[in-house]
Amino acid sequence: MDAESARTPLIAFEAVWRSYGAGDTQVHALAGASFDIARGSFVAVTGPSGSGKSTAMNILGALDVPTGGAYHFMGEDAGTFDKPRRADLRNRHIGFVFQGYNLLPRTTALENIELPLIYRGLPGRTRQELAEEALLQVGLEGRGHHTPNELSGGQQQRVAIARALVSEPTLLLADEPTGNLDTERSHEIMELLTALNREHGLTIVMVTHEPDIAAFAGRRIGFRDGRIAFDSATGDAASC
Amino acid sequence: MLMQSILLALRSIARNKLRSLLTLLGVIIGVAAVIALLTIGGGAREHINAGMANMGSRLIFVFAGERPDPSAPVINEAKPLTSAHFNGLEKAIGSQAIVAAVATTSMRASFGARSVSAQVTGASENHFLQREWKLGRGRLFSPVEAESSASVCVIGSQVSKALFGQESALSARIRIGPAHCRVVGELSARGSSFSGQQDMQVYVPLGLFQTRLSGKSQIDEILINAPNQAAIEPLKAQITQEMRNLRRIGPGRNDDFQVEDMAEYIQQTNEFIGGITAFLSAIAAISLLVGGIGIMNIMLVSVTERTREIGIRMAIGARQRDILVQFLTEACVLSLLGGLTGIALGLAIAWGVTTLMGVHFAPGLADIAAITAISIAIGIVFGFFPALRGARLEPIEALRHE
Ligand SMILES: Nc1ncnc2c1ncn2[C@@H]1O[C@H](COP(=O)(O)OP(=O)(O)OP(=O)(O)O)[C@@H](O)[C@H]1O
Ligand SMILES: [Mg+2]
Repeated sequence: MDAESARTPLIAFEAVWRSYGAGDTQVHALAGASFDIARGSFVAVTGPSGSGKSTAMNILGALDVPTGGAYHFMGEDAGTFDKPRRADLRNRHIGFVFQGYNLLPRTTALENIELPLIYRGLPGRTRQELAEEALLQVGLEGRGHHTPNELSGGQQQRVAIARALVSEPTLLLADEPTGNLDTERSHEIMELLTALNREHGLTIVMVTHEPDIAAFAGRRIGFRDGRIAFDSATGDAASC
Repeated sequence: MLMQSILLALRSIARNKLRSLLTLLGVIIGVAAVIALLTIGGGAREHINAGMANMGSRLIFVFAGERPDPSAPVINEAKPLTSAHFNGLEKAIGSQAIVAAVATTSMRASFGARSVSAQVTGASENHFLQREWKLGRGRLFSPVEAESSASVCVIGSQVSKALFGQESALSARIRIGPAHCRVVGELSARGSSFSGQQDMQVYVPLGLFQTRLSGKSQIDEILINAPNQAAIEPLKAQITQEMRNLRRIGPGRNDDFQVEDMAEYIQQTNEFIGGITAFLSAIAAISLLVGGIGIMNIMLVSVTERTREIGIRMAIGARQRDILVQFLTEACVLSLLGGLTGIALGLAIAWGVTTLMGVHFAPGLADIAAITAISIAIGIVFGFFPALRGARLEPIEALRHE
């Protein structure tokens, strides 16, 4: 990493808008949200329901594009990428963890974990080795051949995290990863994420409603009505 | 990647066995019908060709009667052929080809208390040279016997069996209509159904037939054996000219006889069978269309059911192309399975039918290859729209799908 790229933040949201519909019924899910996130950060995104958190996560993960403003990822104008380029960006640099796990049903844990590597065109042997490694990393050794309906919620979320990790992403996006789990299970997942952030320098952006979960992160960004209401990194910037 | 897609497709089909089978019925039935028809048609054609070639593929036939003309409603009563025409042709072209004459009628042949209805043919002696008869026992009649209208006969295997059972017919005197003939030879059985009539034949010298059996000098057919394929057309022209002279047909008047050769018959029969086969196959192919629509339908269902899966795959990096390939592969594997099942079923049906018909079961490899390719093509054509629909989904919408 040269000096230049060390200075550029991994993520730069520049007055991002995301509007749905047109005319009277137009909804602005994001209305000029701006923030930077540096490599290696662990950010918790909070805010009331409907404030645009998931919308922002979708744009961060290149699943969606802004209707206004700009989104820079690794210094590139990712908000203008076409679909194949966004698919490639997701495959190589983004790992998703969802509230509902989103594992493929009737498919074993290992096969689920392998999935991103298939689209990267890796050969079967390599895929299996990497998947086994990821399974080990999330502490699920021995469960590789179970299908999701044979695993508990916490275990399923670990498989989902392993699937996100297996492609060695630059950025891990987690939208309410503990939303479906009890407190104890939630804290285990958070310890896992914290360890990944500390030990591997993985950049994590996580949406959560729960203050105790948000407390695991090093920085908090609060959303309100599609804008940033506060940001612990810049002080309570409630100016906008 | 393709291997992965095929495995995925097989797994998804295996998960919905009954649904897949029902969907594929159209393709299976269509393919089975086409393959069965083509195979049976091919077997029948080959059988008929072999039967005709067996009769001599270089034979030229001359018989009385105008060539049928669809625009002329009345068919003129034709002047029959007689020994005079036979002798005239013999004189003109006998040096280049074997010329023979035959007259046929149906009569009872009897020996003691047993009798059988036989096809009695009066034949000039050289007629035997034209056909590849296998003599079972005894001999054919000699030129002298033929010339002198001797009361001798050569009988087919079925006639022999009916009159003599397992015993030898040689030297026995059998009654044919009003005449008595000594059996000098027995033909061996031809067996197959097409030439079955030959086993019911009784051959007598042409002269004997004319004087004692029919009482007329009439001849049914004059047969000329061309020495080789190339000689057929010039010979036919020469025969036509000679016959016009013999029958005194003035210039500008139509022939009142026909000159045809075996190749023409074979070609006509082939065209006829080929036409029928193609027509029936085309009708059967309509069910392939129905089958294709069935595949399209089930693929649309599959894409809808798996919308969330598509969303997940896209989130972790599947491109539109990957999704398209995945569902196209599934459609192709599905229709290929249907095609292969249909081929197996069609071949089984064709095997049964050809065995019953007593014809050769010879599946056409080209037909099978073509129908396999068509099956895959059906998957591509009818799977494309559903696959495209899946590939065009927005990842976020797809992920939100319940
Ligand atoms: N596809 C869409 N069409 C129209 N409006 C949408 C669409 N997606 C989101 N919105 C609207 O955008 C706003 C922000 O939604 P978003 O899902 O980002 O909220 P959120 O902060 O994630 O809420 P929650 O905490 O409930 O998950 C909401 O008002 C929502 O109704
Ligand atoms: Mg949300």
